[in-house]
Amino acid sequence: MPTRRSAAAIALAAGLVVVGGGATGLLLTRHATAAVTPPPVGTDALPAPTGPIVAPPQSANPRPVAAPVSLTIPVIGVDTKLITLGLNPNGTLQVPSTTAVAGWYTGGPRPGAIGSAIIVGHVDSYRGPGVFFRLRTLKRGDKVYVRRADGTLAVFRVTLVQEYPKDHFPTESVYGPTPDAELRLITCGGTFDSTTGHYLSNYIVYAVEVK
Amino acid sequence: MKFFKTPRRLIMLLAASALLLGIPAAATAYADSATSGTGWIRLAHLSPNTPAVDVYLYSFGNSDAQIVLHHVSYGTVSPYEAVSAGDYSVAMRASGASPSSQPVLSTSVTIQAGHAYTVAGMGPESGLRLAVLDDDLTTPSGKSLVRVIQASLKDQTVSVSFGSQTLSSKLAFGTVSSYLTVDPGTEMVKVTATSGGDASQSETLAAGTVHTLVVLDGANGLEVVNLEDAAGSGDVPAGPAATGFGGTAPHGPSSPLPWLVVIGAGSLLALAGGLRLRRRPQPGI
Repeated sequence: MPTRRSAAAIALAAGLVVVGGGATGLLLTRHATAAVTPPPVGTDALPAPTGPIVAPPQSANPRPVAAPVSLTIPVIGVDTKLITLGLNPNGTLQVPSTTAVAGWYTGGPRPGAIGSAIIVGHVDSYRGPGVFFRLRTLKRGDKVYVRRADGTLAVFRVTLVQEYPKDHFPTESVYGPTPDAELRLITCGGTFDSTTGHYLSNYIVYAVEVK
Repeated sequence: MKFFKTPRRLIMLLAASALLLGIPAAATAYADSATSGTGWIRLAHLSPNTPAVDVYLYSFGNSDAQIVLHHVSYGTVSPYEAVSAGDYSVAMRASGASPSSQPVLSTSVTIQAGHAYTVAGMGPESGLRLAVLDDDLTTPSGKSLVRVIQASLKDQTVSVSFGSQTLSSKLAFGTVSSYLTVDPGTEMVKVTATSGGDASQSETLAAGTVHTLVVLDGANGLEVVNLEDAAGSGDVPAGPAATGFGGTAPHGPSSPLPWLVVIGAGSLLALAGGLRLRRRPQPGI
């Protein structure tokens, strides 16, 4: 039976080839990839924006402020337009659909009005850094600029950068009332859970308007 | 055997105790760290027949004023100033008086981190006092919080409503109502005085905001000033934000399972082929 014998030989050879291929694949994918870390920050990566700066709001008859249109953080090279964000149907905060821009939450105060304005951006995409990749490297005292639709600037000073596990998200200190004009910048960080596709922490930058 | 078991038990015990100790430490680490040690204070002149004053804020034990507000007249409420938590004193002097002169009035105030205070000169000039008010910085979800300061001397007792909601009933001169939770919106604020005066104006109280309505003696009758004490998100988002896809995260080795399946299938195929080859050809019948 020469045909049967040759079929068996082919099966044996093919099987060995498949085993070899499988073993190669296994060996090639057993290595881990390291975290991409933000480069150290030296001098400001961008010049500070210029424009008319309006005084912080008074509590008596506070003037209305225009909607924000862009965000600049010179020390970490962030310069992005701001899109508008609302809530998802399940009540969670919408996030920008692209990782290249940041957005502001329209259900909160506008930057420069009394209260804490919420600005959200992605730390990364599936492939690489997002608009807020270096947000966690901000330090107390760093300046954050928000340009508004009327051309005016609101200038903020970072007071705190803090990582929170997502199950300890500080809802009150992020969304709760404040008596002065403040800013909260939100992105992700910490351990990435590849089973859920989400980071386990949020980084929050607290900033207050400069007088 | 015993030699090996003991260290393992010891390690388990150590791990368990570390876990027990670690959990409460982690829980407290995230509580209230946002305030970073500062509180807020604002200063107000709400005594109708008291002339303008200079208001000084001193950090306790420091004779150099941290904040000086000059020529503060009746009805003026300063913006909030962020200051380090601690003990302070507030002094009022006649407008233009020397900073080293004896103050007309002074009071002490303890500022807690994350809390806000209004220190107001209240009452008639003859009984002028500095009141320290705790300003609320929380609102029930989707609501507005509002209180009333009655600073009209002409109409000593007033009732104030916002739309159909009563904010204060027969509030006496120089007193402050408790905060009340109201449905947000734009409504008429109506002030009715028992002595017959009244005032009414449209005001907006947005969700997530805290307001103080101050009833003042105006040039003609009563005046209402709407102070926006604090604001937050009217619609508070649920939970954390999903702001990353993992492209810069460290990745562990991917699952070996698909490759093991391939190797298994290849082995079966090779085994089947091998067995077939080894089997002797059957002699023909």
